[in-house]
Amino acid sequence: MVESTEMEISVNRQQLLRELTATQGVVERKTTIPILSNFLLEAQDGRLTITATDLDQSIRTSCEAKVKKAGACTVPARKLYDYIKLLPEGEINIKLMENHWVQIRMGRSNTKMVGMARANFPQVPQFPEASAIRLSSASLRAMINKTIFAIANEESRYTLNGALLTLKDGGMILVATDGHRLAHIEKTGETLNVSGEKKVLIPRKALSELQSLLSASDAEFLDFADDEQTLYFRIGGCLLTSRKLTGQFPNYEAVLPRDNNKFVIVRTEELMGCIQRVAQFADERSGAIKMRFEQNELKISSSSTDAGESEDTIETPYSNDPLVVGFNSVYMVDFLKAVSHASEVRLEFKDAQSAGQMRPEDTSDDFKYRYILMPMRI
Amino acid sequence: MGRIRILSDQVANQIAAGEVVERPASVVKELLENALDAGANRIRVDVEAGGRKLIRIEDDGCGMLRDDALLAFERHATSKIRSSDDLLSLATLGFRGEALPSIASVARVHLTTRSAEEPVGMELEIAGGKILRTADVAMPPGATFVIRDLFFNTPARRKFLKSEQTELSHIAALVTHYALAHPEKHFELHSTANALLQAPPVQKISERVYQVFGSEVLEQLVPIAAETSFAHAGIPEPPPWKREPDWQPQAPGALRLHGFVSRPEMQKLNRNSIYFFVNRRLIRDRLMQHAITEAYRNILPPTSFPVVLLFLEMPPEEVDVNVHPAKTEVRFRQQSFIHDFVRDSVRNVMVKARPAASFLTALTSNPVMTPALVPDVSPMPGPPEKDGMPPEARWRDSDVIPTRADAEYFSPAASVPPPQQEQAMSFVAQPIEAEDAANAASALDADATNADTENASGATLHSLDSLRALGQLRDSFILAVNAEGLWIVDQHVAHERVLFEKILRERQVEQVQRQRLLMPVLIDLKPEQMPLFAAIAEELERNGFEAEPFGPRTLAVKAAPVGLEGRELERMVQEVLEQTEREEQAANLETLRARIAASIACHAAIKINTPLEATKMEWLLAELAKTEHPTSCPHGRPIALRYSLKDIQRAFQRI
Repeated sequence: MVESTEMEISVNRQQLLRELTATQGVVERKTTIPILSNFLLEAQDGRLTITATDLDQSIRTSCEAKVKKAGACTVPARKLYDYIKLLPEGEINIKLMENHWVQIRMGRSNTKMVGMARANFPQVPQFPEASAIRLSSASLRAMINKTIFAIANEESRYTLNGALLTLKDGGMILVATDGHRLAHIEKTGETLNVSGEKKVLIPRKALSELQSLLSASDAEFLDFADDEQTLYFRIGGCLLTSRKLTGQFPNYEAVLPRDNNKFVIVRTEELMGCIQRVAQFADERSGAIKMRFEQNELKISSSSTDAGESEDTIETPYSNDPLVVGFNSVYMVDFLKAVSHASEVRLEFKDAQSAGQMRPEDTSDDFKYRYILMPMRI
Repeated sequence: MGRIRILSDQVANQIAAGEVVERPASVVKELLENALDAGANRIRVDVEAGGRKLIRIEDDGCGMLRDDALLAFERHATSKIRSSDDLLSLATLGFRGEALPSIASVARVHLTTRSAEEPVGMELEIAGGKILRTADVAMPPGATFVIRDLFFNTPARRKFLKSEQTELSHIAALVTHYALAHPEKHFELHSTANALLQAPPVQKISERVYQVFGSEVLEQLVPIAAETSFAHAGIPEPPPWKREPDWQPQAPGALRLHGFVSRPEMQKLNRNSIYFFVNRRLIRDRLMQHAITEAYRNILPPTSFPVVLLFLEMPPEEVDVNVHPAKTEVRFRQQSFIHDFVRDSVRNVMVKARPAASFLTALTSNPVMTPALVPDVSPMPGPPEKDGMPPEARWRDSDVIPTRADAEYFSPAASVPPPQQEQAMSFVAQPIEAEDAANAASALDADATNADTENASGATLHSLDSLRALGQLRDSFILAVNAEGLWIVDQHVAHERVLFEKILRERQVEQVQRQRLLMPVLIDLKPEQMPLFAAIAEELERNGFEAEPFGPRTLAVKAAPVGLEGRELERMVQEVLEQTEREEQAANLETLRARIAASIACHAAIKINTPLEATKMEWLLAELAKTEHPTSCPHGRPIALRYSLKDIQRAFQRI
């Protein structure tokens, strides 16, 4: 690419700010490579394209602009964002000067920012139109919201450091686990342009970026594609790319419980309240609570040597053998938050050692959501 | 004629000298002990050429009668015991009656002595065991030994002597020990023209430590005082049918411990700075060293050693010093009782004192940099020895003390408290009277309280709970302030310490919380690690692991203690196995337990380079304040360092 020596545009402040906000999550904060803390601005054919990358991910978005002179420049991302936020509404003039300086003018405000050579900005992969698959934005967004919290926080075990997306004609599945719990959601009734089954591992960071892009956008569909190294998500005029996670996602189907024959159905809100109260007196580190299933009763209790002990009782039909099982209350709360739209949840168990399964009780929609949680021994 | 002959006394003495007189320092030791046994209050040692040329020891003790002086050079002649029964209850440092004849057989000895009971003193010259000359002499009561040309008639031994500097440092170390053990006495050590040690009598051991090692060392020490009765030890009594008719149950004596132990940030590379005195006799005992190591376990790194000055006092019949001619080894009747007492006392004092490291001290207290706590003996120019010490560790007080010493030079006994004098004079064994014991105990208490108040102004970690976190340095160190100054807390080791104690506590009551894993974590082992795993499987299980062999070289972990996840879990299991592998003999259960707990804590703790919210920092500091040893992590690294307000003010030249 030829180093552009000039560029001059005028852009609406509100539009520019919206696009800058969308890209903030990808800009490298720790400036190990200085160019990565810059935006790439490209002006052509009446549009301004803004690109940010941290080498693992990139985001490319655009807005309308009056292009007086086509060209490109780079600007420090954080500074530009903070400055634009402080400007009043109106048209902003952006002009490339000598030595990669960039002038930003609006009314009587006049600023020159120190940029860097456009040639230093890394190449960002282009969307492969051929393999694009069209997905429902609303479905994917709901699926991410219900699984992302179960992704392992730990950086080192990277196969668990993302969620597995399975696409097939008729539906999609998103699974996330951290080795203690597993969130599994399946959406049926989707017509997807895939032959057979397509499985991709999406890193946590890309997933959360996607989550915020989806909630900021009103587009009905997004385009998804992948090649050997990269995942692509195109939402409206915005393209998010992410390096693929390599490695094998664990064989989660083997751990989905099949014979959990003891169950209770409780009101989500009530269970949430009980757990949050009782967890105040749980061990600070483990957050361990005990769930005791007795005749038509679910008792939730905790105790810690430092804080004391606490117990709550929920009345609910239960006629199986009594059962006591311990869980990390944080994991329970995560699940209950994710299903707060459902009025009732169903808790299914086998014994105190085996995985418990939890799911929302109303199955009216096309989502099949389940949450598998391993017990604690307390 | 038969081939076997009785050796002459001269030869026998020389052979005995091989055991007793190994090097010039041995001579100094024997004569110093004699002086102390004689109740001297003022002892001056002069050496030349590292003691090879001349050793002169002058004391103001009780001296010897004329006839005794001659007899003293016979073998096994002593005033300190009379029968073998006395061996069971020795109260003097010497007793074997070997020292003088041994020394006399390998050196030229010149003795002048006068007993207070006699009008004139006598002078005696011996060389190679033969008396050359005796004469009357005028002198104050006491005794002066001059030993010249040590090993003049045993060339083999002479060849084995080390350099003058080495021999001198041995002597200096030795005199230092005795000076520490007897703060109420005046000690001086001179080498040719240099005064290496001048310690006028003082009341408290802490003052003597100051005289000998200087204020910087004293600041790093925490006083310790503890007492227990031997009644707790369960002294074995003869069964009723074997008892003599007039048998009386023996009064259990008291076991007392006092002295100083170092703060964790003071670390030495060897055990040379562990001074252990039993009834004021310096010993090197494996049992005691083990007790100290145990007490500092999980406070100091495994290859570092503390500075310890401990004085153990017990009834003489509880300890047998007649183990080795050099008397540096002893046997205790109640070995494990004493071991545990020492270990627990030191541990307790570390818990109570919660010493806080000053930042600047921690910077300089790298164990690689600091030598053993032995006074340097080379004030003269020249390159230091190989194992020598940096100049700053050199004799600090030599330029300060003399003025004080001069002032008191001619009134030596004035400041000596009389009771101790009596005690020291008692040649025959006597059980410690209850009254004496009480006096001594209260004296100890007083000593300890004084030291406490002195230390209160010093740095402790008691104020940890008043800390207010300001923020993080590089996402790794918490900066916090309180009225005492600025603190820097290493977030990883702080959390590690919190977890370590919690894990041990939970393990104690078998309340380990474990999280079962959705999918077993598979860990590949080396073939030889499998049996190791089998050996520690049970303890791992009780710490919250559910693991079982999964094929010949793989371990499947099905449940893990709370807080250990993923890769950390794998690393932790590997680490414990590797440590077990390295340990040659089977470790005892407690060590294993601590090691597992330390490993879990380390891997479950907050890492460095982790941003923490303000509430999390406050929580961590509060939890740290609640721990027993907030000083150092289970692997011995310091947790919190302090810039005292005073240091800061001084640095900004405000005071």
